[in-house]
Amino acid sequence: MKKALILPVLLAMAPPALAGDTSPGALIEAYSAQSGSAPVPENGKALFLGKHVGGKPDTPSCATCHTNDPRKGGQARTGKPIDPMAPSVNPKRFTDTRFVEKWFRRNCNSVLGRECSAQEKADIIAWLSSL
Amino acid sequence: MMNQSQILAPDARAARHQVWDVFLRLFHWSLAASVTVALVTGFLLDASWVRLHLGAGILAVILVMARIVWGFAGPAYARFEQFLPRPGALRAYLREHLAGAPRRRHVGHNPLGALMVVALLLAVLGLGATGLAYLGGGLKTGPLATILPATQTGFWSETHEALAAIILGLIVLHLGGVIHESRRCGENLARAMVTGCKEARSGDLVAPHRPARPILAAAVVLALLASGGAAVVALSGRPLQDPPVAAAEFPAVYADECAACHMAYHPALRSASSWQALMARLDDHFGEDASLPDETGAEITAWLTANSAETVDNRPASLWRDLSPLPVVALPDTPQWQELHENVDPALFKRRAVYSRSNCAACHRDAESGWFSPFAISIPKENTQ
Repeated sequence: MKKALILPVLLAMAPPALAGDTSPGALIEAYSAQSGSAPVPENGKALFLGKHVGGKPDTPSCATCHTNDPRKGGQARTGKPIDPMAPSVNPKRFTDTRFVEKWFRRNCNSVLGRECSAQEKADIIAWLSSL
Repeated sequence: MMNQSQILAPDARAARHQVWDVFLRLFHWSLAASVTVALVTGFLLDASWVRLHLGAGILAVILVMARIVWGFAGPAYARFEQFLPRPGALRAYLREHLAGAPRRRHVGHNPLGALMVVALLLAVLGLGATGLAYLGGGLKTGPLATILPATQTGFWSETHEALAAIILGLIVLHLGGVIHESRRCGENLARAMVTGCKEARSGDLVAPHRPARPILAAAVVLALLASGGAAVVALSGRPLQDPPVAAAEFPAVYADECAACHMAYHPALRSASSWQALMARLDDHFGEDASLPDETGAEITAWLTANSAETVDNRPASLWRDLSPLPVVALPDTPQWQELHENVDPALFKRRAVYSRSNCAACHRDAESGWFSPFAISIPKENTQ
């Protein structure tokens, strides 16, 4: 538990290049390149806040756990707190490709019942980064 | 001895009999208080009151031990030899009582009352013994922790509860007997247990004088307490067999992957087959996709299996050891969990600090240790949403 607290502090103190293997900007760029079109933050917002069917019934929306304000912390259905999603308040967000990919895969499946497209990922990160 | 003690009092030799000595009265009301506290905390309040329950129970047992010593070393009316009825005397008393009121009044305990005294003393000792066994087997605490297996917890807790129900019934009978006898004799017996005195009447059955030996009694009680305490300390200090793996030894992969979304559930909460079934369906993990790369999943499954309920002798491990692996069920949806939490206000689980019944650690400070000791419960304060 201690390590989990120390790590973000260290990451925040370190220069951006050492904070992880990537950054929100680099990820937006990579996902956009994959999809072939520019990110649309408004679409990311709609996807993040919208209620969906097709996923698991307990998680109809990203906001179910992350709340409607990504600058604030959320809470998993188990009661465990979730750190804010917006990189402006939580600089360690979107700095680790494997971590980002793991959670997109799991959570898109939980909420939408499918994987997210590269375009959707770019849209969501673009919206979260704009906050 | 009975016959000897039943000497007719000379008429109005004194206006009052000094019946109950100071120790006996203190004993009586302290026992009444400690048994009441133990009954209320045991039957009506939740597990977070266990400290008070234990304290009250231990006090009651010590009081009864001291009372037994006083039964041999106290003044006349405190002595067992004075009031322990022989079957013949009891039959005669009952016959007399059923035929109408007995002519003579027992200044000390009458034979039926004496029987109640013995029953209550024995019940308290039985409650102490079964409580200690419950504490040892179930909570792995105290002198019997290394002697009784956690699998016996159910037996000891049920026996303890049955005895508690019996003592509750005895108390009701005791109060009924006191009220009945007070009315019949026209004398407030409860007040006599406060003042120690009873009105002297002609024809009273009084006991011959016996000198009390308070210093001897105190020495015996102190010796019993010291030797009992030493035995408890020595036995309680022995290392446990098959304790649950310490939370500090959880592998990093378990903390990183599983405890990212929920508290790090102790591996001893499920059997090996239950963990394997759960880990095989991580893509539908209690309503969410928690899938992992195969090798990570295998590594975690191996560790859970090696430290599962079968390898541990404690209460939580014994509760869910036999849970059927399929369908994979959340522990809060099992009857065992619900019985243990039946006194918990359901609104508590909706508080922000708790949020989910699966958030054990919100109230059980030692949840990740796999112990779930009632001593480690702290309910989070009410909190706005």
